[in-house]
Amino acid sequence: MDAFLETSMTASKTVLIILSVTIIVRCIRSMLSERYESEVWAYIRMGREMLPVNHWENIIGRSRGADIRVNEPGVGRVHAVLKRSDRGIWTIYDVFSKGGVWVNGTKVGSRGINLETGDVINLAGTCVRFQDITTEKREKLESARTSAGKRVSPFMTLFELTVFQLFLLLQHAISAHANHLPNIVLGFVLLIILEWTCYNAMRLMSRSGFEAETLAFYLTTLGMSVTASSTPEDMFKQILLTIASVLLFLLCGAWLRNLKRTAMMRDPIAVLALLLLAVNVLASDAVFGARNWLELGGYSFQPSELVKVAYIYVGASTLDRLYRKRNLFGFIAFSAVCVMALALIGDFGMALVFFVSFLVISFMRSGSIATVFLAVTGAGLAGFLAISVKPYIAQRFASWGHVWEDVYGAGFQQTRAMSAAASGGLFGKGAGSGWLKDIFAANTDMVFAVICEEQGLIIAICMVLAVLTLAFFAVRSARHGRSAYYSIAACAAMSMLMVQMGLNVFGSLDILPFTGVTFPFVSRGGSSLLSCWMLLAFVKGADTRRDASFVVRSVRKIEEYHVGYDAETDDYDYDSDGTEEDEP
Amino acid sequence: MKKITNRAVSVLLIAVLIIAGMVVYVLRYVDDGRDWALYFARANSGSTGVMTDRNGALLAAFDATTNAYSDDELTRISCYHVTGDYWGRTGTGALTCFWDEMHDFSLLTGTTRSESVNLWLNIDAELNKVAYQALNGRKGAVLLCDYRTGELLCMVSGPSIDPLDADAEPPEGAYINRCLSAAFTPGSVFKLITAAAAIENIPDIYDRTFYCEGVYEIAGVPIKCSGVHYTQTFEQALANSCNVAFAQIAVMLGQDTMVEYVKKYGFLDSQSLDGIPTAAGSYPQEFVGDPELGWSGIGQSTDLVCPYSMLRFVSAVGNGGKLCEPKLINDGKAAKTVSFMKADTAEQLASMMSYNVAAHYGGESNFPGLKLCAKTGTAELGDGTSHAWFAGFLQDEEHPYAFVVMIEQGGGGLSAAGSLANTLLQAVVRR
Repeated sequence: MDAFLETSMTASKTVLIILSVTIIVRCIRSMLSERYESEVWAYIRMGREMLPVNHWENIIGRSRGADIRVNEPGVGRVHAVLKRSDRGIWTIYDVFSKGGVWVNGTKVGSRGINLETGDVINLAGTCVRFQDITTEKREKLESARTSAGKRVSPFMTLFELTVFQLFLLLQHAISAHANHLPNIVLGFVLLIILEWTCYNAMRLMSRSGFEAETLAFYLTTLGMSVTASSTPEDMFKQILLTIASVLLFLLCGAWLRNLKRTAMMRDPIAVLALLLLAVNVLASDAVFGARNWLELGGYSFQPSELVKVAYIYVGASTLDRLYRKRNLFGFIAFSAVCVMALALIGDFGMALVFFVSFLVISFMRSGSIATVFLAVTGAGLAGFLAISVKPYIAQRFASWGHVWEDVYGAGFQQTRAMSAAASGGLFGKGAGSGWLKDIFAANTDMVFAVICEEQGLIIAICMVLAVLTLAFFAVRSARHGRSAYYSIAACAAMSMLMVQMGLNVFGSLDILPFTGVTFPFVSRGGSSLLSCWMLLAFVKGADTRRDASFVVRSVRKIEEYHVGYDAETDDYDYDSDGTEEDEP
Repeated sequence: MKKITNRAVSVLLIAVLIIAGMVVYVLRYVDDGRDWALYFARANSGSTGVMTDRNGALLAAFDATTNAYSDDELTRISCYHVTGDYWGRTGTGALTCFWDEMHDFSLLTGTTRSESVNLWLNIDAELNKVAYQALNGRKGAVLLCDYRTGELLCMVSGPSIDPLDADAEPPEGAYINRCLSAAFTPGSVFKLITAAAAIENIPDIYDRTFYCEGVYEIAGVPIKCSGVHYTQTFEQALANSCNVAFAQIAVMLGQDTMVEYVKKYGFLDSQSLDGIPTAAGSYPQEFVGDPELGWSGIGQSTDLVCPYSMLRFVSAVGNGGKLCEPKLINDGKAAKTVSFMKADTAEQLASMMSYNVAAHYGGESNFPGLKLCAKTGTAELGDGTSHAWFAGFLQDEEHPYAFVVMIEQGGGGLSAAGSLANTLLQAVVRR
């Protein structure tokens, strides 16, 4: 390598690190530091008191945790659920209260009764009056709400990402074999076009929140870089998969906009997921110990990755349904079948990912620590059984923490991952200049180490921070979610991605047993990339900053549709309104 | 919603665990990153290395796919403790200790790539072979250096192994380099240190006589001598290796002075051979009383000396009091020279050691053609066995070599170690 190329490599390394840190910091500032004002959407008048209604889904009850606390004798801890549709229609549901709920003297059933300003709600003898806010107030509220992208321009962040990608491409241009160069250039150029198309589409829909997508594109870029290093011949395949993933992300997001439709489709999707797993158990070939792959037109395909998305979709729930159903039996059964199917397939890493998501969802839904303990104990026993039945799992546990004692056997991958990761130092060897890329499964199970080696520890940490930022954002947004469904789904999706990342990173570094799951967005593997982008749609669903997310309908727009509303069914012809909002 | 969103915080538990895991990784990286990185560095950096002896004979060479040693089995075995092996089983081997020279690592930049590194040693593999054959399977240490330049020409430790024969059961203690990494009871070679202290601290030492009738009692404790030497001068006492005389001298000097000299000559410290740390010796430093002091003055008691420290001592005596620190690697740089002892002391010690050889060690008949100055040691171990020591130098402008030979439980100093030294010295002067 002559001196000029060496200098460019060193310079580009510095630029990449600075850009990485800037991108992450900008996204953190934009997603995690903006203030959310408390919003009041309606009032409950109780005697002289005016109780504010702060959410779109509210619990009315005596409980300290109730959103609207009515501390009167006869009122249950969780007595009723008050819910606002995105059309601005309020409905009250009785959630199996002992004392019952009446509106203007009519008994409220499980289907709920719509409310108008002035309606008298009788909660087991305690009468309160419902009062919606006026249209002017609603408009004021809407304009006061924090909007995304005001303090930190999403355009600049994406622009920095583009520069990052160009410098990364420069490094590959220096190190790659001439045969593969066109493929690599094409991959990166298409990725840049894809992200800007996506950005412009958001602008066209007058949406301003693009941080989650930027972080996902940042991670995808690092994944592309690993592919360019390890299997450059797959570059074209990988970019096609990325395009498909982003399209699916948009599709999922659009689907999630309509909560009613989303909720209605839960059961069919659950059945579909189980069918997919059944096909997987029966028909797939054993690859590398796990029978988790289906060959589909040249793409090997992991059905369990799609089931992950379905799992979150089915697991999340709206508040009224949550308290009307009262138990988790259906969900527990569904989870048990999923985890057992994965265990049958032999993919214990994935089974663990599902299990942790199950814990998160069931805890968020029930709030019961006892349930969580019970589940953990059960899983512990099952895990013990798995270790004693499956010898290769036991072997992984046996070598855990002792990988350096068996460098050519059980510790083969981990020791090489650790060695390569350390040899990159903080600044890395430059894209395509490492040696780990040529080791088997480097671009899936050991991507963290490949990035450490080629881009250095700082960028590798940025990669982890990107996922953590999305998770913190999901938790922060959960508080302001339009529905418990979106809040639960976003949190569960991010726990899934975090657990996956944890298992991948720490498994390859011998801090946890090696399980062979993928690093979200970065590991090569089409189905994994597809599912990660689809899970990201759930995060977008919880983002209620003003005009931030394309998954959340703009409130102002909704009001214009008030005409033609069918109050009896609380329903619209949804299929006809999907496109209008896309115009600025 | 409040209930749900409060529970959402539980998700952050996972994030906290991940952050904790990253902290663990970063701490481990700071601690062990160097070992991790260098473990596969040689195989993956694309660099190559060649290690040769002073005459250019190949000792070890590697590239991405091969780990080679010398083709000659005897060279491999006799130089095993010099080269070490690619697994680092002997910690003081050049392959292990000078790994850094082949690949470096820093926490900031990771491994630095090096294309090709040649390590040129001062060791003469032919001399090592001679010494190893002369050891003849016994446990021991043989060191020889040029005291004018510090070049270390011979370093052999027995027993040794063939690094190519990785699966064979190694003899006990084969991985220890006895020249550098162990300290032994010195016995009478230690009298050189007592003598040096006496020359500098007892003004009339040459005028005194010492009477030996085979045993001498200090405070009722008998100190036995190897013979009965009757009246003798200081010079004769060293040549006789008279325990009675040197126990008296040690008591005369006092423990403080003895400790001062042992320290001054570096016997209590770990020395460094081109960065390879050596074993520290020992000498009674807490108050022990005259009988024990007497024993310590003749190299018994709790005295322990690393052969390498003894080489530095005799090397300094040979070089007129100035020590050229021995050098294993020929990097073109001059050896560090330190003022080790007074020139006058060195000169007197040298003449006494020359007298030893001429008068008592069989002179020309045992060491034909050698202008040898030396001192024997037969270190009693209390179980009837003894370490055989022979240390000294050639007072010869053309052959300025200092040496130490130590054979563990080898018997008499002159008969065992002396004859080995002669074999080695004959080889080095004919070279």
